[in-house]
Amino acid sequence: MSASIGRFLRPWCPGILQARWSKYNPYYLEPVVSKEYFNTPETELTDEQKAERQLKTTHPIKAAPSNLTSSVFSDPLVSKFINMMMKDGNKVLARSIMTQTLENIKRKQVEKYHKAPPSEKDGIECNPYTIFHQALENCKPVIGLTSIQRGGKNYQVPTPLTDSRRRFLAMKWLITECRENKHRRTHMYEKLSQELLSALVNEGNVIKRKHDLHKMAEANRAFAHYRW
Amino acid sequence: MLLGIANFSDLCIFICGMISYVLLGTQGHKLLLRPTLFVLSAHLWLKNCRELMPSSYNASRFDQPVEASVWLKNFRITNERFLKQMKTQQKYIWSKREFTDEGHPLIEVIDQGLTRVKNASDSVGIVLKELKAQCQSGTFKLVVGVDGVNALWGQTTLRKEDKSPVCVFYVSCTIQKLRLLKTGPSNNGAVVATVTQTGSLFTPKAAYLPHELLGKDGFDFLDPFLPIQVTGYSEREFESCYQYYKDRHWIQHEKAHTEDGKKELIFLSNRNPAVLERICSFL
Repeated sequence: MSASIGRFLRPWCPGILQARWSKYNPYYLEPVVSKEYFNTPETELTDEQKAERQLKTTHPIKAAPSNLTSSVFSDPLVSKFINMMMKDGNKVLARSIMTQTLENIKRKQVEKYHKAPPSEKDGIECNPYTIFHQALENCKPVIGLTSIQRGGKNYQVPTPLTDSRRRFLAMKWLITECRENKHRRTHMYEKLSQELLSALVNEGNVIKRKHDLHKMAEANRAFAHYRW
Repeated sequence: MLLGIANFSDLCIFICGMISYVLLGTQGHKLLLRPTLFVLSAHLWLKNCRELMPSSYNASRFDQPVEASVWLKNFRITNERFLKQMKTQQKYIWSKREFTDEGHPLIEVIDQGLTRVKNASDSVGIVLKELKAQCQSGTFKLVVGVDGVNALWGQTTLRKEDKSPVCVFYVSCTIQKLRLLKTGPSNNGAVVATVTQTGSLFTPKAAYLPHELLGKDGFDFLDPFLPIQVTGYSEREFESCYQYYKDRHWIQHEKAHTEDGKKELIFLSNRNPAVLERICSFL
């Protein structure tokens, strides 16, 4: 028994070496943090879930990363954004910038809410998280361009993008825009909150960049048949 | 808790605790009706100072124009209606051509400090001196709130231009505040102060009693005083704070409105009001 498991737990090399790869043997399972998973009694589990629990008794589990929490306030999108903003591994700074941004957005919106007449109060969104999600959604491009070589020349061909690629592009544009196009004396959180609030109403430089990409794709639609 | 403080005269009250936030919050609410309340944050003045200039009034002391002008601006906004009524009792000469005559409203002194930033610290000193003198004569009730009084007797990170350390007593703001805090027999005011470890320099993290944080000098100076311990929120207080945030639409996260979210807030903040405020700011 131990010899067969030991075969899986030894250092393992895959057939093809990837650029960014998990060094774990595929035998290892992902850790689970949700309280609901552990609080459901035995009787309420479906057969699939029971089989999964059975699997966990035999398989080893990967070590949980330090940013994984069982907190009700944890948001995977916000965590991803913080990781993308981080420089030189300074997560403390990146996280503090994010929290200041959210506070700033909330402050502006709540002030607007309190000053508005009762008829307009329903239309004002105060939750910084929903604003962030919506603004990011508005910044995501629908179609992208890839460079394909045909007959010695490189053509920009419009291609569909995966969801993760779209999310990455939206976050990347937002961060580069806020790093480069701001006054020397404005703080990052200030600029970020301005960009997010304008992206919410489909204005601002990031939305402009998305529209430029769409226009380029539309202009190059003749080359679409170059895709394999 | 602090309802009866403004009626005390001849008493120097201390709040001994890890949190100055609680004090200032209740202070601001309860004492709005009393004339002249002003709050100083001693810790902010005595560390991380960018510009330390030799004082124009007394060459051996050091001035802080930036902090002084910020304080003057806030003081002016909060206490404007009283300052217009109060008059100076002495003539003050700022430079060859500028002076403030006797009998002019105190607001002019503050404006002078705000326009000429070099004289900002001096105008702070004048304002404090005038307030104390007029309070003793009985025209106004005065309540002084100082946040982090232990900074006045602690060590500082301030340095002169040749990188030699500056003693606390050579900074003009400390001298001004110490004069103010000295209570005489016929005083018509009160002092409410906090001792905190959070902003203080070179004090161990576990120290929270006034004797440890003030040192011997500070303790003797402020004797006799009434120590009041401020602990974290009780269940009722936490509930009321939480309801207040909800009512003002400050807690926006959907999960924070649930029972689980509330338990998590209690856990994360450990019922510390300052930490709770910082957590709720981004939720």
